[in-house]
Amino acid sequence: MADEPVTTMEQMVSLEYKIHSTPLQRSYGRALREGRITGHKCPECSLVYSPPTGFCSLCVVPTSEQHEVEIADRGTITSFTIVDPIQYRGQEEREVYALASILLDGASGSIGQQRIGDVAPDEVRMGMRVEAAWLPEEERKGGAAQAALGGAIRHWRPNGEPDRPLEEFAEHII
Amino acid sequence: MAVQPSTYKLEFPYKRSLGPVVGTFLTGLRDRKILGICTSAGRVLVPPLEYDPETGDANPDDWREVGPSGAVEGWTWVEKPGPKQPLGHAFAWALVKLDGADTAMLHALDAGSIDRVQTGMRVRARWAAETRGHITDIECFEPFDPAES
Repeated sequence: MADEPVTTMEQMVSLEYKIHSTPLQRSYGRALREGRITGHKCPECSLVYSPPTGFCSLCVVPTSEQHEVEIADRGTITSFTIVDPIQYRGQEEREVYALASILLDGASGSIGQQRIGDVAPDEVRMGMRVEAAWLPEEERKGGAAQAALGGAIRHWRPNGEPDRPLEEFAEHII
Repeated sequence: MAVQPSTYKLEFPYKRSLGPVVGTFLTGLRDRKILGICTSAGRVLVPPLEYDPETGDANPDDWREVGPSGAVEGWTWVEKPGPKQPLGHAFAWALVKLDGADTAMLHALDAGSIDRVQTGMRVRARWAAETRGHITDIECFEPFDPAES
């Protein structure tokens, strides 16, 4: 009301920032725009890091382009969460959806926070096999590593293969 | 196409509860009045404080309207304002002691150029087109020559 005493004050705290990608992330992003997922294979222990980190943290050795390997654009859901988006101010999601960690075929560790689509959220399960639904090539961004898959792949969808048993991926859930 | 930097925006749309002192001050701004609080010793504090900084005593509920004109006590020039600063062009941050007040308040001064800013110069508040009970109800201060008005 125009004549009521003022008792509250809006105070917007707003932070805008840009992250510039490293040469390694740019190389990973370029491959994503071509529809390829890449990783680095440690020359000592053979673990495959995707996205590539440029080093193996277990062996403490650097990795580079010569250790690059192709990772499949399909894999196994190792864990997931169902998000029922609260409609707070600025929320852009309207419908219930699933986010999953996915162990891609050829990688040693899973990738997190991946959107699952083309399936009802309550049908998503551990062990489910999925494949990438790539964005059209001109829409792929391929930015910094963490956001890159989200910038190139719309979501992951069931590919019809039989579920994998827990024993196969239990060591790779996170 | 080159790989672009990733842009992120993080926002916390807070709403703060105001006490009786800042609440009264902002209610005044909403009504296009600048209010100061009078201490027991008779000093008028603008912006108002709950306690007298000289003695630590609670201030009585004694309000005085001040300004809207005053004098610049100190200033610094901002040549290239950032995106969240109050004016989109070069301006000064100024300490303005409003007429009737004993303390100065910090606000933006739209003087056009650094050559027009001087300590001691006369300024007055320029009100925002719409007021809502926020410090930005005073859009900024501007040079004011009583002889011209």
